[in-house]
Amino acid sequence: MMENRKHDSSPIVKIENLHLHYYTRRGVYKALNGVNLEIRRGEVLGVAGESGCGKSTLGRAIMGIIPRNAAIVEGKIIVDGVDYLKPLREYFKRAKKFKPTKNQDLLKKVNEEMSKVRGQKISMVFQEPMTTLNPLLTVGYQISEALFYHNPGLLASRRLARARATKEDTKNIVKILKEEGEGERFRQYLKNRNIMGLEDQIISIWRRRELHDLKKEQMILDLCCEPISSMARGYLEQIEKTNLLPKFSKLPIVGRIVKREILKEAYKKSAEFLGLLGIPDPDKVVYMYPHELSGGQRQRIVITTAMINNPNLVILDEPTSALDVTIQAQILELVKELKEKINSTYMFISHDLSVLSEVSDRIAIMYAGQIVEIGPRSAIFNSPKHPYTQMLMEAIPTIEAHELKAIKGEVPDMRNPPKGCMFYPRCPYAMPICKEKRPQLFKVGEDHYVACYLYGGEKK
Amino acid sequence: MLLFIPTLIGLTVIVFTLLHIGGTTKLLAMYLSPRLTGAARAHVIAELDAKFHLNQPVYVQYFYWLIQILEGNWGITNTPLYSGPVTQAIEIFFPNTLILTIFAAIIIWLVSIPLGVHTAVNRDKPSDNTIRVASLTFYAMPWYLIGVVLIIIFAVYFRVLPIAGTVNPSLVSGLPWYHNGISYPTHILLIDALLHGDFGVAWNAFLHLIMPSVTLSLGVMAALIRLMRGTMLETMDQDFVNFARAKGVPEKVVINLHAKNNALLPVVTNFGYLVAGLLGGVVVIEDVFSYPGIGMWLTSAMLNNDMGGIMGGTLLFGLILVTTSLFLDILYAKIDPRIRY
Repeated sequence: MMENRKHDSSPIVKIENLHLHYYTRRGVYKALNGVNLEIRRGEVLGVAGESGCGKSTLGRAIMGIIPRNAAIVEGKIIVDGVDYLKPLREYFKRAKKFKPTKNQDLLKKVNEEMSKVRGQKISMVFQEPMTTLNPLLTVGYQISEALFYHNPGLLASRRLARARATKEDTKNIVKILKEEGEGERFRQYLKNRNIMGLEDQIISIWRRRELHDLKKEQMILDLCCEPISSMARGYLEQIEKTNLLPKFSKLPIVGRIVKREILKEAYKKSAEFLGLLGIPDPDKVVYMYPHELSGGQRQRIVITTAMINNPNLVILDEPTSALDVTIQAQILELVKELKEKINSTYMFISHDLSVLSEVSDRIAIMYAGQIVEIGPRSAIFNSPKHPYTQMLMEAIPTIEAHELKAIKGEVPDMRNPPKGCMFYPRCPYAMPICKEKRPQLFKVGEDHYVACYLYGGEKK
Repeated sequence: MLLFIPTLIGLTVIVFTLLHIGGTTKLLAMYLSPRLTGAARAHVIAELDAKFHLNQPVYVQYFYWLIQILEGNWGITNTPLYSGPVTQAIEIFFPNTLILTIFAAIIIWLVSIPLGVHTAVNRDKPSDNTIRVASLTFYAMPWYLIGVVLIIIFAVYFRVLPIAGTVNPSLVSGLPWYHNGISYPTHILLIDALLHGDFGVAWNAFLHLIMPSVTLSLGVMAALIRLMRGTMLETMDQDFVNFARAKGVPEKVVINLHAKNNALLPVVTNFGYLVAGLLGGVVVIEDVFSYPGIGMWLTSAMLNNDMGGIMGGTLLFGLILVTTSLFLDILYAKIDPRIRY
């Protein structure tokens, strides 16, 4: 599956000329004004910009998590070939006067449609770890939810495998592991014995570094012969086959047993995953409540939740901004590590260019709801083209002494943005045409595009 | 939780002070025959002074009074409805009020929480506006007006519900567990009837409960609906709700598990005090429906200037409010993992 992803060259998300406006009592805020962006498979795309430039709105729009007063005026977001925001856009075109209540109805439908994609194919990490977790639910439950609604088949097969495996099996497995490691023979054995569900459980134990081999062996030997009530077994087998949850409300007692079995399994899987991310005592942590954990730990939990289903795309919306510097470094380390372990695509939103320079492959610079420059990291940092990017680079503090220059002027009022280039009022190189017409993205180098008349178009 | 005891002391001090504003003469008048004169009268007064410690300083009297209260001697009430010890009056009248309040509380909870969630989820839509206007209308109406309107509609016009009282007297006359309008053993007719297996009486008692409890709940429901709507709207904007959506959790679960449970926290507190406050509301309702509860007894105590009854009632309501708040603190700690005492 992972190999396929690499070779598939079509972008995961394609955003075409997206205009998103917020209708408020104080006027219409034009948050996104024609965003064109592709997120390619396997890359880390950094998105940078001042606060209020629409980078978070962009991230949320991809997930479809937008408030009811957000109107999709124009443009598409195509996720995995599907244009989810179509009803909203069509409503805006149809409606004479935009009404948030109508928009909300359609948003509800979009939510329903997208709930199959969210958490499974694309997931998101929010900025504030302190408020992203539900204070009333255990951490384990909140991670489990993502598994429970998208991958019940995996959970059922894990549970069933533990019931099917005999003592003989686990003994043989330990023997194979000792002789050849987790290779082809190990997988073949599991397949022949119809206990594939044990695979990730055994691997997660086998790879743990802090345990003694004897302890690991004992843990693997313990993975057998765990009986299930015969009532629940049939349903679990059905879930394993179809990967769909039965209607629990129609099964009054059995439903509860099955649900509990699956949730318990999800807790186990969550603990395993947390262990992989290097969180100490994962078996205890899953039963804790968010307030018992520190900010950094909470952000790790949030990242775990986003990653647990191996999504194709993870949107990280300023994951480090609310944390102090040491924790920030740890989280960045974690993201880098995940990038290596799990082959997926990341969209990393941050206002901090130094953070982006550490993790991203490509960087997009946003200004006033538009992408003004996008290109490979080296190109953006070594030869920034757009005047705004150039000025941003000068504003980054470095260890060597250099004069920090602030960008003069202010972000335009988004209720009434300039007609031409958004940066025109603050730009030292402004030309007459900049005032008249909004520039398109012009190619300035290998995979490097800039929206500025200095680099193309009719120069006047 | 530690505030429980100081609150109780404060409560008793207030009740005691109120009792003393009424003056000792009032007390003496209850025990002193008006026909006594001269030395005999003075002698009896001195005796009573000694008996009730009236010749001691006020703060000493307070402790004597407190001991009496703890011993269960809450004074004497003398009203047309009942005369005798206050504790006994409470024993007779309070169970009726309690069942009425419990019924009303159940109705309030079952109706206003779902309505509050519904209005928040369907914000600004016609159903939201209708529910808000309707509930505010009831909130603005005085209790007795709602009661009378309901009586006119359901008892006079449609004749489906009984007008007043706790039970149809013809059904209970001659029953071994029912004397003088009091049922045994719990004094709550509905429960006693069920205990004795008399379902006809139980059904009749239930019908008698409907209108008073609906009246009681209609009047305060708006407060809870609005509160629930407000907190729900607030929680639905929270990050963790969006995060639940981002996990791909179905919208129904997002609202009912993630948003609702968090929005309920402040509502539970308010609900507790609301229900405790309902006990004050019953004073009016019971009068409208001639329902023999604590409210009716207290009304007649007030009309008859019966100090014992009024003070007993004040102390009782105070105690209920204080215990409710204690109970709520415990409940709050149960549902919110962040609070542990």
